[in-house]
Amino acid sequence: MKSMMKVLSRYVLSAAAVAVLLLVINFAIFTIWLFTEKDEKNYYSIRQTADQLTFTREGYKLTGSGRDQLERNNQWAMLLDPAGKVIWNYKLPADVPQSYSISDVAGFSRWYLKDYPVSVWRYNDGLLVVGSPKDTMWKLGIMIPQKSMENLNFWIPLFLILNTITAIFFALMLGLRLFRSLKLISNGIQDMAEKRPVTLPVNGVLGDLAAGINKASSQLILQETALNKRDNARTTWIAGISHDIRTPLAVAMGYASQLEEDEGLMDEQKDLAGIVRRQCQRIKDLVSDLNLASKLEYDMQPLRKEQTPLAPLIRSVAADMINDHISEQHTLEVSVSDNAQNGQLLGDKQLLKRAVSNLILNSIKHNPEGCDIKIELNKDGENFILSVADNGTGFPKEVFERLNETKMDADHKEDVGRKEDVDLMENVNHKKDVNHKKDVDHMEDIDHKKCAEPNDLKEQSSHGLGLTIVRQIIKAHNGSTHFSNLSRGGCQVICYLPALTS
Amino acid sequence: MIDVYDCKLLLVDDEPELRRMVIAILKQNGFKKIISAGNCSEARHLFALEKPEVVILDVSLPDGDGFSLMRDFRASSSVPVLFLSARDEDDDRLLGLGLGADDYMTKPFLPRELVLRLHAILNRTYFPAVLSQKLKPVFSLGDIKIDLNSCEVTSQKGNATLTAKEFALLEKLYENQEKIVTGDNLCMAVWGDSLYGYENTLMVHIRRLREKIEPIPSSPKYLTTVRGLGYKLTGVTVL
Repeated sequence: MKSMMKVLSRYVLSAAAVAVLLLVINFAIFTIWLFTEKDEKNYYSIRQTADQLTFTREGYKLTGSGRDQLERNNQWAMLLDPAGKVIWNYKLPADVPQSYSISDVAGFSRWYLKDYPVSVWRYNDGLLVVGSPKDTMWKLGIMIPQKSMENLNFWIPLFLILNTITAIFFALMLGLRLFRSLKLISNGIQDMAEKRPVTLPVNGVLGDLAAGINKASSQLILQETALNKRDNARTTWIAGISHDIRTPLAVAMGYASQLEEDEGLMDEQKDLAGIVRRQCQRIKDLVSDLNLASKLEYDMQPLRKEQTPLAPLIRSVAADMINDHISEQHTLEVSVSDNAQNGQLLGDKQLLKRAVSNLILNSIKHNPEGCDIKIELNKDGENFILSVADNGTGFPKEVFERLNETKMDADHKEDVGRKEDVDLMENVNHKKDVNHKKDVDHMEDIDHKKCAEPNDLKEQSSHGLGLTIVRQIIKAHNGSTHFSNLSRGGCQVICYLPALTS
Repeated sequence: MIDVYDCKLLLVDDEPELRRMVIAILKQNGFKKIISAGNCSEARHLFALEKPEVVILDVSLPDGDGFSLMRDFRASSSVPVLFLSARDEDDDRLLGLGLGADDYMTKPFLPRELVLRLHAILNRTYFPAVLSQKLKPVFSLGDIKIDLNSCEVTSQKGNATLTAKEFALLEKLYENQEKIVTGDNLCMAVWGDSLYGYENTLMVHIRRLREKIEPIPSSPKYLTTVRGLGYKLTGVTVL
């Protein structure tokens, strides 16, 4: 809008300046023409003619150049004596009378003589009259009041000022018209940028432009709809798969579990059944995670946001972790700064708990030999700073590389972030629906590593989605996540979460 | 009906394999009368004919959904219903429980869990007397004997009585023995408020409690502190 005003004011000023400039130039040219050209052509020539007319014994005689002059201009001449009689003439037309009264003289000296434009010059006691052919000259008598001429210093600037004002006024009117149609276009572009449908009127000067914008807008909306449809389809598809997979999985898990508890079987066989059962559980977790990740990615996860005190939530997750999961090798320590103790945020408790436990499980998973996990919660003005760090092996190279990409999303803010988010999701999806081969390899990889592990806990969240889900949950709460490997060993994840102002 | 195993169960699921498995599990766990249906109309028919004591329902069925099926059943009886669904959305879970289902489990599930939940529902519905005797526990920590009914602590040092707050703290810790109870949860149980502002009060009460139940209160053995999180009661012997 501001830029539009600038455009308009510049337009109006330059239009007015052009108008005034033109006026001044025209005025100047007119003046120059008036005072140079006219003088030479008429007045000078009749004086010359008069000079060439001499009185000799045989009467009046027009000599050389004077005659040539008349000849060249196709003019005629006559000399009147004081009584108004023609005493000499040169090529006097037949319709011109031979004697004149004073009023005749006054008339033609100012206007025309029988439609002949004539000039007069005093010649001794008489009057020399030179006539041009009919319809070749205009004669105008100009009379300007003395006062006006004396006030010229006042009138000319006033004239210019009035003209300037008029010019500005018209430029403004035209500019406003243009401005109005430009404003429509500008609003249209704005709407288009915000993905609202645009239908501009296509008449007027900028009709073509408007039509182009309308077309671009409808194209954009078509694309947006197609994209949404695809995202929707993808999420629904994943949700459908995760639903459909549950029933067969339930059967497999049920029988495996039954075998595991069957007293008639040997221990070895029971162990094998146990492995099948745990793998079923892992598939279940994986499918749930995939479903949650895809929903969070495309904003289809309903968030139940309520006022949540963060410190108790973290303590309760940590306590649950220690109670149910943590083995002897791992320690978990929670410290909450004084100003974060009572802070609240607007959040989905279940999802936030999920994020915190995913972070803890991630540290445990990557350090089966044991590590010390430290959770710190601070508050810096408007934001909670939640740090989960361990002194273990740090992020594996491939994970860290992937997370590094997403680290840029926090640095580059929304627009870039969005793209990379999609990339990441794409990555996850690739593992599942496109790159089957890799998928199989990947799964086998995990299986080799984990199958023999009897500890349930280590199998949880050992697919790549744990940290992705953390990032998505934090993002859904308008926060950001930073992943780093510490120089002293181990890794650190810092989440910034906007707090509620009390 | 003598016990829960005499209850007649109606299992409704459209997947024959799953029905077979659940029936096998339930039979193995002692349930004798199990009937099953693969769709809504069959289920309605069986329900009217057999009058089961409990229904296990799938949500998605070929000719309708479990939610409306439950509403139909509930129109004529107060039969307990347990949902066994492949839908794990919170919304579905809340809808099922909101409509008055007694429990909601998602597939895949552990057979043991299903059996335990089924027991709980049946006991609650048909044998409530078993659970009605609500005696508070009596237990010992080493040589110290604690009776939560009379709030008395007996040790070599003599007898002591627990105050109301100490009792509430100890009960909460006992219920979660061998597990960390966060300060937040303790405060919620005792004062009905969050930890913030109660840290010192909580510490004072814990100290007093330790003086009564710990042989050496300054180096606690049973009621230990978990730094930054809360407290933990260990070494309980139920008497």
